[in-house]
Amino acid sequence: MLTAGPAKKVSIYVGEDHKYHGHSVYSAILDFLFYRGVSGANVVRGIAGFGADHHLHTMRIERLTENLPIKIEFIESPEKVMELLPKLHEMVGSGLIEIQDTTVVKPSEASRKGAPQPSSLPLRHEGKAKLMRIFVGENDKWHEKPLYKALIESMRANDIAGVTVYQGILGYGANRRIHKEGAMHLSHDRPMMLSVVDTEEKLRAYFPILDSMIQQGLVVLSDVDIIKYAHNYEGDERRKEART
Amino acid sequence: MKLEGKAKMLRIHFGEDDKWNDKPLYRAIVEKCRELDIAGATVFRGIEGYGASTLIHRSHLLSFSSDAPIMVSVIDTEEKVQTLLPFLDKMVGEGLIALSEVEVIKYVHQEGARS
Repeated sequence: MLTAGPAKKVSIYVGEDHKYHGHSVYSAILDFLFYRGVSGANVVRGIAGFGADHHLHTMRIERLTENLPIKIEFIESPEKVMELLPKLHEMVGSGLIEIQDTTVVKPSEASRKGAPQPSSLPLRHEGKAKLMRIFVGENDKWHEKPLYKALIESMRANDIAGVTVYQGILGYGANRRIHKEGAMHLSHDRPMMLSVVDTEEKLRAYFPILDSMIQQGLVVLSDVDIIKYAHNYEGDERRKEART
Repeated sequence: MKLEGKAKMLRIHFGEDDKWNDKPLYRAIVEKCRELDIAGATVFRGIEGYGASTLIHRSHLLSFSSDAPIMVSVIDTEEKVQTLLPFLDKMVGEGLIALSEVEVIKYVHQEGARS
C-alpha cells in the first residue's frame, strides 16, 4: 500500500499499436503493474503527439485505427519502482520511461465496497488451514430466508475466504428424521452441506455468528492443507471494475 | 444424543447404481447407520467422477440410467464409526472408504422443531 510521503511517479509513453507478445504494450504493462501489486495506474490516450521517430500520431486522419500516443502513469515507493523498472524497460520497446520525484499527500484508499486489496485477502498462503462443514436442512430458515443462503451471505459479509453449498440426496441427523428429495414434488427437504475453508482464527472468530444462526444442525472442523487458492479470478473481476 | 469435541468423519465413495440386497447401496448404508444409532449420515450425488475402475461416472441429463458418483458422509465418535466399518466392508463391493479426524463445533437439534 502506498503511504503518504516521498514517492516516485513513473510515466511511460508508448504507441497504442505497439505490441508486446501479441498484446498491446499498454495493456501488457497495465497487467504487469496490476499483478505486481502496484497501488494504482492510469492509462491515458493522447489525441496527437510525436516521438523519437518523428511520425505525427494523430486522430485527424479518416482512419479508425491510428497509432495514438498512450501514457501509462503510476505512483509507487522508490523501492517498488526500482524493482519494476527492469521488466518495464524490456516491455516498453521503443517507448519512453520517465520518473519524477513526487510527494504523496494522501494515499488513495481501497473502496469499502470493493474486494479487499491483495494484502488483506482472506487466505493468501498455501499451508495449514481449516475446513468447516456445516450440515443443515434445505428447509431450515433464518429470518424467513433459507438458512444456507443466509449463511453464505453472512460469511461473505465476514470476509470468509469461500464457501460452497452441496445438496445431499438422502440423509438424517440429530432429529433422526430422514431428509430426502421427493421424486415428483416441488417441496423438498434435502440435506445441505456447506463447505468452508479459511484459517483457524477467521473461522473461530466467526463461530459466535454461526452459533446464533444455526438452531439445528451439525458443524465440524477438520485440518486441511491449502495447495492452491487462486484469487486471480477475483483480481480479474477487480480489474474489470477498475477499467470500466 | 450428544456429540462434541474430537470425532471421526467417514466418507464412502461408490456409484449410484451399486446395490445391496436389491436396494440402492446408499440407502442401505443410511438405513444401517440409523440402525446402529450413528449420529447422522448424508448422501451426496456427484456430477462426474472416476474411481477404482477408472470408468467415468457421469449423470446423463436425458437418460434415466445414470451411474453418478455417490458420497456418503458419516460423522460420529470413533467407537460408533468403528461399529459401522465391518458392515461397510461387506456392503461396499467396489468403492472407497476414507476416515478423517474432525472437531465438532456444534451439534444441535430441537425437539419437534421440524415436525
